[in-house]
Amino acid sequence: MADKLVQDIYDQEEDTQKGKYLTFSLGNELYGIEIKHVTEIVGLQPITEVPELPDYIKGIMNLRGKIIPLMDVRLRFKKPFRDYNDRTCVIVIDIDDLSIGLIVDSVSEVISIADSEIVPPPELNKVGNRYIKGIGKVGNEVKLLLDCDKLLLEDEANCLTSIIE
Amino acid sequence: MGKVLIVDDATFMRATIRLMLERNGFEVVGEAENGAVGVAMYKQCQPDIVTMDITMPEMSGTEALKAIMAYDTKAKVIMVSAMGQEVMVREAVMNGAKSFIVKPFKEEQVVQTLRKVLSV
Amino acid sequence: MSSHFSNEPMLEIFIHETSQLVEKLEQSILDSEKASCYTLPAINEIFRIMHTIKGSSSMMMFNNLAALAHAMEDLFFYLREEKPKDVDCNSLSDLVFEGVDFIKLEIIKIKNGEEADGNAALLINRIRHYLLSLKKEDGKLDLSPAEKGAEVEKQHYYISQDKPQVQVPQNHYHAVVYFEDGCEMENIRAYTIIHNLKDLTSEYVYYPEDIIENDESVQIIREKGFEIYLQTECSYQEMNDFFMKTVFLKDLKLEKMERTDEPAWAFRKAQKAGEEAYKERSKASVETALHREEKESLSTGHPSIISVNVQKLDKLMDLVGEMVIAEAMVTQNPDLVGLQLDNFQKAARQLRKITSELQDTVMSIRMVPLVTTFQKMNRIVRDMCKKLDKDVKLEIIGEETEVDKNIIEHISDPLMHLVRNALDHGIEAQEDRHTKGKPSKGTITLEAKNAGSDVVITVRDDGRGLNKAKILERARENGLLYRPEEEMTESEVFNLIFLPGFSTKEKITEFSGRGVGMDVVTKNIEAVGGTVTVDSKQDCGTTVVLKIPLTLAIIDGMNARVGKSCFTIPTTSVKQSFRPKATDILTDPDHNEMIMVRGQCLPIIRLHKLYNVQTEVRSLTEGIIIMVENNQKTCCIFADELLGQQQVVVKALPNYIKKLRHIRGLAGCTLLGDGSISLILDAAELADYR
Repeated sequence: MADKLVQDIYDQEEDTQKGKYLTFSLGNELYGIEIKHVTEIVGLQPITEVPELPDYIKGIMNLRGKIIPLMDVRLRFKKPFRDYNDRTCVIVIDIDDLSIGLIVDSVSEVISIADSEIVPPPELNKVGNRYIKGIGKVGNEVKLLLDCDKLLLEDEANCLTSIIE
Repeated sequence: MGKVLIVDDATFMRATIRLMLERNGFEVVGEAENGAVGVAMYKQCQPDIVTMDITMPEMSGTEALKAIMAYDTKAKVIMVSAMGQEVMVREAVMNGAKSFIVKPFKEEQVVQTLRKVLSV
Repeated sequence: MSSHFSNEPMLEIFIHETSQLVEKLEQSILDSEKASCYTLPAINEIFRIMHTIKGSSSMMMFNNLAALAHAMEDLFFYLREEKPKDVDCNSLSDLVFEGVDFIKLEIIKIKNGEEADGNAALLINRIRHYLLSLKKEDGKLDLSPAEKGAEVEKQHYYISQDKPQVQVPQNHYHAVVYFEDGCEMENIRAYTIIHNLKDLTSEYVYYPEDIIENDESVQIIREKGFEIYLQTECSYQEMNDFFMKTVFLKDLKLEKMERTDEPAWAFRKAQKAGEEAYKERSKASVETALHREEKESLSTGHPSIISVNVQKLDKLMDLVGEMVIAEAMVTQNPDLVGLQLDNFQKAARQLRKITSELQDTVMSIRMVPLVTTFQKMNRIVRDMCKKLDKDVKLEIIGEETEVDKNIIEHISDPLMHLVRNALDHGIEAQEDRHTKGKPSKGTITLEAKNAGSDVVITVRDDGRGLNKAKILERARENGLLYRPEEEMTESEVFNLIFLPGFSTKEKITEFSGRGVGMDVVTKNIEAVGGTVTVDSKQDCGTTVVLKIPLTLAIIDGMNARVGKSCFTIPTTSVKQSFRPKATDILTDPDHNEMIMVRGQCLPIIRLHKLYNVQTEVRSLTEGIIIMVENNQKTCCIFADELLGQQQVVVKALPNYIKKLRHIRGLAGCTLLGDGSISLILDAAELADYR
């Protein structure tokens, strides 16, 4: 079970989590997310819509009695919406006191990327890019490493005002 | 060897001493929040050693010490004192306290004191 | 913070206990002030509290707190020991209150994970000065308590000179004892050695000899060690063993000597005689102690109260909530429909009974009496009276009434605000009261009582009352009149003061101005599902009534469906539900829909429109109208259909969403029997939504 696997990893020392990333895909792109933020991975469950929220917040979900919001990462990155299927996964992350589920196309694997293999993202003023902390090289592939803090916290001011108006 | 009774009116101090002692292999058999309860618990738990705060409501540490010593002349009581309580510590020592520690104390100071007194 | 305290639980206990002590302290001062004197038990209690805070703070390395507590401890030590007369109770209270405030502030900083960096030096200085002035008045300036103690002992000095003669032992030793650095009270440690030495011999001298009386002896022992000359029958090995038992022994020099230096022995007799006398004295107190202990051990058994982390209680409450849902899932399982299951039903009934008992018990655990919240107001009244030069008595009734822990946190601020308001704006100045023929002492009454599933808290003053004309005028200025003036009842006018934007900056005072008004009270109280109403009579006073639910955690809810979504409305605010008739429905030119209910014209809120939910039911006559009322405002909610009524466990919306924005009309969410989520509607907010 994927969530069991992640839990095991999570239980280990902080040190062993360092440099480890959970990778997932959105279309053709591969993203990485620091394993220390990840609490579990679950399949998609019924979503309860909550009104008046930005489109990328799809609603809330009941995770064993705990209610967590769901963010569609595709929509967050202004990519076109894609219908959910049985490969669609929810990555539950915890940052400070915020818990949130990220809806992604599919989850791949846990990999190690040494700091030396990570380069900063190019200075592009493109939407989505600012959520990228760095670009990790693994063999021939590159993974976009997500900045979870920004993913959760940034843009709040914007959407607040835009909705109130 | 190493059953300890902690007598202190401050929850914080009890918890601190307990933590320090348990980390070092002592067994805390009881906690009392004033002298009177401390004496009663001494009789009940028969600890190897007692840490006794001096300033407490109901019955002070010194009074409790006297009562314990009267009940068990071999009792090992360590006073927990604060700066400025010299006179009271001296009175306690006169009345049979085996040693004392002074707040703020370090973990190794408590542990060393208890070990030494227990080894006698 | 020192390394072994980096663990959170210690800090938590420290904060918790210190806050409690400070509260106690505050109460003690208030009581003393009321009685215009500090009684011995009060002084004792304050002394002990300061002593405890000093100890704990120094352990946690909060040195500023420790230093302040130390200064206060010294002050109350003096008060306790010397019982000085003519202590100015007022200035003493002010001083101690300042100390209390300092400690409170530091605790808040610590709680918030900030550095406790307040500087107490000035305050400490003032406390010292105060103490000094007390001593001066008493003419005891040159005699510190420690010296007094010494004097007492000197008096006993000559009592038992005729001690039994001892044999002169053969072996002579010279020992120098060094203690470990930082073990503190080296002089008393030296004394401990001497005390124990008495079991071995009675012939000894030591240097420094004034180990108790002279503070400098500590320094000498630290630098040069503690020197002892003694005569005993014991062997070198035995003596060595004796000294090695010393706690915090760093180094020992022990040598056997051939002969003793006679003059050195001269000190001995005096020293010993003093101790014998002391022993006599303490023997008597052992007996009294024993006596007392016997009595007290009967009454004080093991503590029957334990403190529990609130988070654990919250978790327990959550779990019970889950269980209530799970129980419904089992007993109302669709698979059971149409089956004749007598035994199952019996067992299910038993399960339901236990679940509801469990639920009641857990709720009762979370209930705390209002006493602390109410007592806090004493301090506010005191401070304000001093500042505003008013004489007001605070009467507290029903402080034992209990409410849920979560709710207490929400009502403390509003109560404070109301009390401040009453004192500042309600109660007139003394001369005015005199002219009106009222007693010069004003009264504010704080009363709590149970009323069904609510608690009613009343804040009443006997002041000037609300001015109807002024309220209307201000409401007009701020555009808050939602109805023609002449149609409004008196109570409606008074309640205008709770509207946001009512308070103006016309009259800002230190206590109740601050640019915020009574709407803060409303907001806070409504946040916990309560209501606020006010009533007033010119020159007789004002009464504000807060109605607050006992608990937030579990409510009776009515579930309604809109499209695929489910919404829950607290049953307490549902007046009635019905299928509307087309003839009762009106639409104004702005396309606002309204419905006539018993002669009243009420606005309709379509949930599907409000929250943009997809549904087939768009015609009002096909769905259902739920009439809700909260805080004297009524509106009609339109949904597809009613699903039924059940107890639901209120859960907050996830933090992320709460941070993102406040969604109008949503109070939280809950889990339904099938594991799906329903959104809980906030009737008061919806009714406001026009």
